[in-house]
Amino acid sequence: MSQDLSRYHRQMLLPGFGEDGQRKLLASKVLVLGCGALGTVIANLLARAGVGHLVIADRDFIEMTNLQRQVLFDEQDVKDAIPKAEAARRRIEQINSQVKVTAVIDDINHANIEKLAEGCDAIIDGVDNFETRFLANDCAVKLGIPYIYGGAVGTVGMTYAILPHTPTGDSPWERAGVATPCLRCIFEQAPPPGMNPTCETAGVLAPVVSIISSYEVSEALKVLTGNWDAVCPTMLSIDTWSNTVKQFKVRRAYDVGECVCCKGRRFEHLEGKYSSATTTLCGRNAVQLSQPTGANGKLDFDRIAERLRAHGTVTASKFMLRADIKDNGQQYELTLFTDGRAIVKGTKEAKTAKSIYAKYVGA
Amino acid sequence: MSEGVKILIPTALRPQVEDQETIAATGSSVREVLGSLTSRYPELGKRLFSEQQEINRFINVYVNDEDIRFLEDLDTALKPGDELSLVPAIAGG
Repeated sequence: MSQDLSRYHRQMLLPGFGEDGQRKLLASKVLVLGCGALGTVIANLLARAGVGHLVIADRDFIEMTNLQRQVLFDEQDVKDAIPKAEAARRRIEQINSQVKVTAVIDDINHANIEKLAEGCDAIIDGVDNFETRFLANDCAVKLGIPYIYGGAVGTVGMTYAILPHTPTGDSPWERAGVATPCLRCIFEQAPPPGMNPTCETAGVLAPVVSIISSYEVSEALKVLTGNWDAVCPTMLSIDTWSNTVKQFKVRRAYDVGECVCCKGRRFEHLEGKYSSATTTLCGRNAVQLSQPTGANGKLDFDRIAERLRAHGTVTASKFMLRADIKDNGQQYELTLFTDGRAIVKGTKEAKTAKSIYAKYVGA
Repeated sequence: MSEGVKILIPTALRPQVEDQETIAATGSSVREVLGSLTSRYPELGKRLFSEQQEINRFINVYVNDEDIRFLEDLDTALKPGDELSLVPAIAGG
């Protein structure tokens, strides 16, 4: 199929791009993990660049406090209670109709990530927690897909492109001699909860998010057009407030290190060894619960809404149900998704969140 | 302190060092410099070191742009003018 490439003229002028590069982009499929602060910038830039198929996965809905930095969303999306992945799909449809978007409104976990990544040429990181990042890293190494890590909080951000080593060693990037250590070579463990500031405790500056996610996209465009030599071999760390930009060398992490993932080829995160049924969410005083919905699959929102109205305000769309709940003198906001997932706002305690779920939805 | 080592403190650990972004120190190895730093700021030591007195695995330590795990770890030598960066993984987004 021949597509009009004129809209990409300014990009095709770039060295290493040309019409060939543009056609590679249009034929590419990319998994965008998370569609929040990083993810919206990533999806926006990839769509405008003409990446042919974006799979955008996000479990969350849009809130007013997101609009300060999450560039694909607006006030109407908040009013309409649209999930982020779906709102992004609708917006991108208007931005570039040559791009196909698959919106996945779901938690990313060890049970579904390999399927999401199937056939993708790159995985780009826009998530807000390290559990999912290690999962993405396992998946990328196992399937031999480039994975671009990015994280930001406060005025600080980091990014790094992983071109994974494969058992056969014959990936295009290995043949070009530019494979890089994986994320677990560099960070053996996720920081424990409460150690690092979150977007909630430290805030987050929109420009630092934009810089990190734009940098991720820049690396992605090199990957997707096969400009392997141009991919940055170091980890970038930037603080826009204290004006520091550092590049850390990582190569020896693979050469000398004993990585369980990319050297040992044991995928502990994909096996679910570290996955939890509850996740404390970065940036909010909230816990996510994964609850099996049983044989019937989907939750019955009408019935649940009816029950919850006795406790407070309830709003529902076909995607989600949100209820304000006062329990034991504490105010919580409970959000339910049709697949049985829930987000309990007003606590960081898994057990409190489970209790709220059990009391008002039923375990 | 012109001949010392400069330690860069990440946002996550600044509350433990009276909100300083950088701290000047002297010492000829990473162990020595971090030892004197954490005796000045014991709360930082609790975050930085495990009970076995190893660097916690969720924090990387770089001398200039090299990870000490792939040099001589805590015994990595330091010379005047070196920068020591404490770098936890950034999880937000």
